[in-house]
Amino acid sequence: MVRKKRKSKRRKTGRRSRSRRSRFPWGKLLFSLVLVVVAYVAFLDFQVYRQFEGSRWSLPARVYARPLELYAGLRLTPEQFAAELKALGYRRTGAARRAGEVSRDGRRFKLISRPFVFWDGPEPSRALRVTFSATHLDALQNDRNGETLALARLDPLAIGSIHTSHQEDRILLQLDEVPDILVQALIAVEDRSFYSHSGVSPRSVARAFWVNLRSGRVVQGGSTLTQQLVKNFFLSNRRSLTRKINEAIMALLLERRYSKDDILEAYLNEVYLAQDGRRAIHGFGLGSRFFFQRPPDELSIAQIALLVGMVKGPSWYDPRRHPERALERRNLVLQVMFDQGIITRAQFQKSRNERLGLVQAAAGTSKTFPAFLDLVRRQLRRDYNESDLVSEGLRIFTTLDPQQQWALQKSLDQRIRPLLKQQPELQGAGMVTSSTNGEVLALVGGRQAGFAGFNRALDSKRHVGSLIKPAVYLTALEQAERYNLATLLDDEPLEFEDAGEVWRPQNYDRKFHGQVMLYRALAHSYNVATARLGLQLGVDRVLQTLRRLTIDEPLNRYPSLFLGATDLSTLDVTRMYLNFASGGFHIPLRAIREVLDSDNVPLQRYELSIERVIDPAPAYLLTRALQLVVAEGTARALNRRFAPELGLAGKTGTTNDLRDSWYAGYDGGKLAVIWMGRDDNQSMGLTGASGAMQVWSGLFRATGAVPLQPGKPENVVWRQVDTASGGLADNGCANTVQLPFIETGTLPAAAPCAREAPSGWLPKWLQ
Amino acid sequence: MKRLTLVLITLLSACSSAPQRPLPPVIDGGHAGAPGEPAPEPAAPDRVEVPPPATSGGAVVALLDRADDYRRAGDSSNEAATIERALRIEPGNARLWHRLAEARLAQGQLQQAEQLALKSNSLSGNDTRLQASNWRLVARARWSMDDSAGARKAEQRARQLEH
Repeated sequence: MVRKKRKSKRRKTGRRSRSRRSRFPWGKLLFSLVLVVVAYVAFLDFQVYRQFEGSRWSLPARVYARPLELYAGLRLTPEQFAAELKALGYRRTGAARRAGEVSRDGRRFKLISRPFVFWDGPEPSRALRVTFSATHLDALQNDRNGETLALARLDPLAIGSIHTSHQEDRILLQLDEVPDILVQALIAVEDRSFYSHSGVSPRSVARAFWVNLRSGRVVQGGSTLTQQLVKNFFLSNRRSLTRKINEAIMALLLERRYSKDDILEAYLNEVYLAQDGRRAIHGFGLGSRFFFQRPPDELSIAQIALLVGMVKGPSWYDPRRHPERALERRNLVLQVMFDQGIITRAQFQKSRNERLGLVQAAAGTSKTFPAFLDLVRRQLRRDYNESDLVSEGLRIFTTLDPQQQWALQKSLDQRIRPLLKQQPELQGAGMVTSSTNGEVLALVGGRQAGFAGFNRALDSKRHVGSLIKPAVYLTALEQAERYNLATLLDDEPLEFEDAGEVWRPQNYDRKFHGQVMLYRALAHSYNVATARLGLQLGVDRVLQTLRRLTIDEPLNRYPSLFLGATDLSTLDVTRMYLNFASGGFHIPLRAIREVLDSDNVPLQRYELSIERVIDPAPAYLLTRALQLVVAEGTARALNRRFAPELGLAGKTGTTNDLRDSWYAGYDGGKLAVIWMGRDDNQSMGLTGASGAMQVWSGLFRATGAVPLQPGKPENVVWRQVDTASGGLADNGCANTVQLPFIETGTLPAAAPCAREAPSGWLPKWLQ
Repeated sequence: MKRLTLVLITLLSACSSAPQRPLPPVIDGGHAGAPGEPAPEPAAPDRVEVPPPATSGGAVVALLDRADDYRRAGDSSNEAATIERALRIEPGNARLWHRLAEARLAQGQLQQAEQLALKSNSLSGNDTRLQASNWRLVARARWSMDDSAGARKAEQRARQLEH
């Protein structure tokens, strides 16, 4: 049908042109010209449409740390709370009146929290009174009426975004989130006839010319906001007549298609305001955060004036690089605002004397956690398209705990920094996880935690040394009929063939210790006894255990495996020890809690899931042995810093020639694995105890330790054991240790020092 | 001291007749100081002590109330997420683990329901009533997974505890 019509049209045109053959075909030319122009305009229209719609939706995924939950009993010092509020951009004032303000009186804080929409709905802004003891949150109250509150959730720290290839970033605002005064100032300065023109404004060009002429400098530009928006869409900065014409046409088209409010909203989100390294700062939402660390509705008049003033020349008026120039521009904008009646004289005079009030650019680095974001990205890329991540405005709620992260960074830095003179190549990595739910609380991939780069925690695979030993001992303890914690192992010279060569393992102290109890061989990390135990069990059995503990790396298949001659990352070790720290459950690690779409609907939840991989009794015994590593073994230096009643568990690891320093340790709530070493795998002079364990210690001292008290399985009994003989003890024995045993398994015989029948021999009903 | 230790190790390795090869290269270090000599150190004045027993006030109760609302609304996914939130506050609370197991059962995640009930039991101490209801829950999960032998075993455990 359509085709037929066209054919008939062409025939008609043909006839007509034939009849006017002698004259110049003006009509034809005009027609073609119109056709070309129409096509061109249609093309521009399409471009405008595509850009406009695209810019509306092209929102990088925003990544958040865990929100801080406030409740009485929370372990948090007032200093930690203050640090978190500061990172969140809460402003210290004498009395908090607006959202995002806080006042502090010693250990008492009064703040107005910011509203925030979480997966389970909006958390309203609230006036909170928060009182601390030295180490804990003591009381949480509604500051308006003094009522006790059970729980309050702060807005979470924004820790990053997933960028597009050209690294634009923005925080999308809706028009009603932008203060009126900002919009008025913007229109007053950039485009006074915005609400009356139809895209271009000859009058404003003329006026700008006049104003600039009068003041002797460029105060106003002639482009309308619509034209500027178009210019922002097509990033090129070439000044040419063609471009100006295109801009004007497109501005007209845009106005035809969209309402003033649509255009204004797009402008507020699109305008280029600053450059942060490779990241372009677009829009007032991000600009406001970038310069003042607060949302636009919390800006002062002076701050609004500064941002509005910067539109004209973001790098020329960059307030960090050219503060005086920026100040002058801001005051000019304030003058315009006053002249136009947007602000009162009092506001004008007060604002003019305000300082620029910028946040330090450096403050931003304390909120960049590249190693953790790297982990988040890897998890996301597994489950999402790249294009959705950079454009769909997803909100990603991660498990990062800024308190743990800061403490880990600080502790690692404190250990490494003094050594850098002798060991400039020294590096470190660390990972903190919750043993309750497998959430990754903190991650550091190198000694400069603020810089992206080689992520050692995930990608550096190193010999783990003695960190592997618990897998050997667990394999033994799971054979309760053969082994218990007091089983005597032989720590005497040993020779055997490994990969066709004779191997004589040595202990760290180059001594042999004769008959040692199984738990002591682990606590003191005796290599010879461990190698002998491993040989009794067999490489295959130990490999099976390791696989069950989710170490599915290609492992060394020779007996040197028992002493850790195999390469694992900090992440791998974390996976393995999480099985111990959780009481025998495998918990998949999670860096993300949930992903919400731009309408706050949960797209995906990464739920807690667990699976028992170690029977309760051997898991209980192993944790006891790892507690004894701290109580009396290679990690006993921790007792100086931590009360023994905390029952901390852990294991040191040191590799040959002091190339790697490891520590994996846990309390009742979390597990931390620390590595120190050099990328070139040369010696750096630290043992597990003198390097990584110190970092661990600093971390747990800063964030606090909770007692590790695993629930005793019903088939486990506690017995007193004579440390000299490894036999069951009674009051006649001088030195004893309390050890748990599996009831149905083997128990030691009575110790020589025991005067009467040890309790292990009593009938069950008497026990 | 550290350097001395290093020298000592190097010397000793040179003396030992062990073949010179990189593997197996693993040793372990105790203290940074002299090997073998336990140096009992005094407690630092600012030693980390056992914190006072945590009382989370009404936080967990408030969250459980909310979880109940979700349950009544048939929203087991949000119910579970709310209990997870409570667990971050009181990770050792066996009843919360039981509640999460119930929610997972409602979500149709049978294996997880069973595992979470086992976790609840491992933290339950002497609370035999809770242990019994955990075994009842395990039995329900196993029935749904067509594991009738396992389900009967779990029911038996529950009955033993209920006596």
